[in-house]
Formats: sequence, C-alpha cells, structure tokens
Amino acid sequence: MKLVKINEDNCVYCHLCEVACKTEHSVSKDIIKAVKKENVLSRCTVEFNYPYSASIMCRHCDDAPCIFACQNGSMHRDERGYVVVNTQTCVGCWMCIMVCPYGVIKQGKNDDWGLSIKCDLCPDRSIPACVEACPNEALTFEEL
Amino acid sequence: MKYVIIGNSVAGINAATAIRQNDTQGEILIISDEQTRPYSRPLLPNWVIGEVSFSEERMFYRRNDFFDKNNIQTLLGQTVEKVDTKQKTVILSNKENINYDKLIIASGANAIMPKNITGIDLDGVYTLTNIKGAKKLKEDLVKINSIVIVGAGLIGTKMAYDLSKIGKKVVLVELAKRVLFPALDDYAAVLIQEQLKLSGVDIILNDSVVELDGDKTVSQVTLSSGKKILCDACLLSVGVAPNVAFVDQNIKLDRGIVVDDYLKACDDCYAAGDVASIYDIVVNVRRPIPILPLAAREGYIAGLNASGHEVKFGGGFAMNSIEIGKVGFISMGLIESDTDEVLEYKKDDKYRKFIIRDNKLIGVILVNNVEKAGMFNWMIEKKFDVSWIKDTFLNNDFGWKYFDKAFRVLRLDRKLQR
Repeated sequence: MKLVKINEDNCVYCHLCEVACKTEHSVSKDIIKAVKKENVLSRCTVEFNYPYSASIMCRHCDDAPCIFACQNGSMHRDERGYVVVNTQTCVGCWMCIMVCPYGVIKQGKNDDWGLSIKCDLCPDRSIPACVEACPNEALTFEEL
Repeated sequence: MKYVIIGNSVAGINAATAIRQNDTQGEILIISDEQTRPYSRPLLPNWVIGEVSFSEERMFYRRNDFFDKNNIQTLLGQTVEKVDTKQKTVILSNKENINYDKLIIASGANAIMPKNITGIDLDGVYTLTNIKGAKKLKEDLVKINSIVIVGAGLIGTKMAYDLSKIGKKVVLVELAKRVLFPALDDYAAVLIQEQLKLSGVDIILNDSVVELDGDKTVSQVTLSSGKKILCDACLLSVGVAPNVAFVDQNIKLDRGIVVDDYLKACDDCYAAGDVASIYDIVVNVRRPIPILPLAAREGYIAGLNASGHEVKFGGGFAMNSIEIGKVGFISMGLIESDTDEVLEYKKDDKYRKFIIRDNKLIGVILVNNVEKAGMFNWMIEKKFDVSWIKDTFLNNDFGWKYFDKAFRVLRLDRKLQR
C-alpha cells in the first residue's frame, strides 16, 4: 500500500505541504480563502527543532487503534485501505486521539459536534496534495 | 463451524468482524436481550437530552448493512438463561437450546444497584448503561425538575452537566473527595468541578445516599451525613458490574469472567469486553476494565482466536477522554502516586502530569492540550524506556521532534510495528 514517506533530511520547513493540504480540504479549493477565511486545519503538521524539521501525518496503521477506539464507527478503513473519518457521524469524543500512537489526529468542529481531523490521503487525487506541493522530495508517495 | 456470540455491542460486533475475516463460510449468530441495532453507548446522555436521535446515523455503532454484508445472523430480544460449556449449548429463557462450536461471551456490564440504599425500588430511580434505562429517563424527563445523581463517574458527571444545561436542578453526590475519582487527580478534578458549578450543578463530595423516600415515586434523598434533599428523580451511576448470571462452573469468575492471555475462558469459549477480567498492565492485577477501546480490541482478538488464530492479548489499562464545558481531558493509567516520579505542569486550566516508575511511563493526565495523548498511550503500552525523553514531556509542543532521529525514522517509516 502506498503511503506518504517522510524524508526529514530534505525538509526545509517551508510549510507548503500544509498550505496544499488546507487548500485540498477546503470548500473553495482556493489558497487564500482556504487559509484565511475557511480556517481549514492541515492534516499534516510541520515540526521544527533545529536542524530537524519534518511534516508528520497519519501512518495509516494496519492495526489502527483509532478504529477500535471509535464509539460509532466513524473512524473506518475505506475501500482503498486507508483510515478515514466519516465527517457526518463523528461526535468528537477524542477517543481516537487518546490511542493514536503517532499523535496525528486534530480536534476540529462540525456544526454542534467535534470532528476528528486527520490525513485521508486525498481520495480525489492520484498523488496526495502535500506530496505534490513539496519542492524538495521531503514527502514522497511510495510503498512503505 | 457455528459461532455463537452473546452480546450485540462493541465486543460482540468486533468478534463477529474478526471471525468473518477468517472464516467466510462459518455460521455466526449474535444473541442479545436488546432489540435495537447496535448503538453508541457513550452517546446515551446526549440522546436523553435530545442532542441526538435514533434517526441519525451517528447514534449507531455500525452502518445498517453490517449484518447482511458480513452474513451475520441475529437473535434479538432473547435473554440467555444458561450456558452449558460441557454440552456446548446456550439455553435461552424461552427454553430454546442453541448449540455452538465456539462461544464468545460479550455480554457487557450493567449498572450496579447498591443494596445498601433503601427505597431503591421506587419509581423515579434511573440507570443509564443501556437503552432501556436511558429510555425510561428520557420519557420521564419532562416531569422531572430536580434530580439527584449518585456517583460522579463518567456517566454521572456527563449526565449532571447535560441535565443542568437543559435547565434541570441537579445535585451530584459522590462518595470520594472529588469527581471522576479514578480518572483524575485533585487539580484536574477541581477544573471539572468548576465547570459543573458554572452550569448550576450542586456538588456534594465525601457523602453517600442511604435512603430514598417517597410515595410510589422518589421525592426525597437522605445522605449518610443526615442531609436531606428534595427531588423528583434519582439517577444511580455508581459503576457497572459484569453480566455473568448465566455462566456455568467451568467458567471462573473473579469480578468478571477470568480469561487467559488468549481471552479464553474455557474450552471453545472466550470472553471479551466489559464482562472479561483482563490483565491491567499498569496496576498488575486482573480486573474488568469497562472501556470501549479495550472492548473493541478484546472482541476482535477473541474472534480471531475463536476462528483458528493464536493472537495474544497483551492486557490493557484504564483510559478516559471527556469534555465538560470548556475543559477537556484525557487520562491514562495511574493518576496519582506518592512513591513514583511525578512530572507536573500547572497553569490555570492547562495541566500536564506524568507518572514514571523505573523509567517507564505508567500514568498521564492532559487537560486542554490533548492532541498528542496517544503518543504517551503507546509508551505506556510498550513499556517504553522514557529516561532520555521524559524531560520534554511537560513541553506544550511535545512531538516527534524530541525523539532520537534513528528511532523516529523507524517509527514513522512503520518499520517498528506501532
């Protein structure tokens, strides 16, 4: 199964992956609106601790603890085999966050309910937006 | 091969899923005394106050096509009276016998009805661990103006906040010195108590209910301190006890059903979920740990093992995630200790606490900055040596950047399985 490989030595802390992720997951698909108006949460997070930097996102575990911890089946494996959230049913109980061994699920909102936000490996694209946006192959899409 | 599963909730559903992945031909039958499609139990308080309804998909544990898609038979609204593990038969209360090749007991746990409280049989006394109890409370809600909630655990605390939010007068009575006693320490509990008080909940600690009075319906509660509280309803939420009334002598009981490392209770019989007494890797005892993430995993492993695998269940530990008002927390394992290394960061409603024994993490409390909680969960589960990284735990930006590079790359490349 192809995943986003994180090549930390190539990362230069430019945050373009985050911008691309926000845009891809926005309603408008417009960079400015996505970042400044819609306030989309990025599914990947760039960390920095000189000289290290890297963009971290869901590793799509084979034995995903978040799926087991989900109280109503919102966290599930889609037909591609990736771990995704059903945004229509998630209630934001954060039990997935409690068990995620990589710490890559964020707390979002959806109307009156909390909503777990995580990498869905861009179901509408052949190459994830973050990988395509990375200028330096710090993120690559390959078999892991 | 015929698999019979007792219980149609988290553990039972995951057991059936695992069996079907392994055995496409075998017959799977789930028996439950509940009539409903499996639902999300943690949402019952929200359902009671009308925030969510059974017409919404989020109320359910699995999508509607789950049973058809996995070719799983159900027998709903039937109570199991006895399990005969020698004859390999399940006897229903209507005297029907159902034979099995493999049995999985996932019957869960129900609210404890404290025997030392008199008047517990009065009308207006409720519990909230299943749909039957919740329904009674929901139907009567319109005529309830004031309610006494006994026990400030997860259910009691959440329900107290929710009922207060919709304008009911709520008194929350707790035997311990703080709310959410086993899940939070004093500092974190005070943050939750402040939220409860803000929403109008009256909290009484270090006290317990001894008597319920009323003419047919409860109208007054007496505490052991002698204090009397007028009310028109009482919710009992002092904990849960495993549903084990139907087991035979081949199945050993120690609070819950005793299981081995493969979740086996006796030959061809497994137990999983709230009913099972499992190994607590933090406290080093066997006990039921009635939480949903463990029920799901245990159910899945029991299902794998019942259908021919040999997968070890490594044990578990208590963990909780709850939000009350503006305060959200996640806690795991041990939450206070006088004899272990304790790391703490406190500032107003920000709180991080870590308990470390022999350089292994055994307990965590995170308040209002919880997104990295699972990384600590992993460390507890794996008994990870934290001596070289623990100095960074109190940083609010804790993350992969504090790990050793070689280790980080291996983990993120999925070369180290979870």
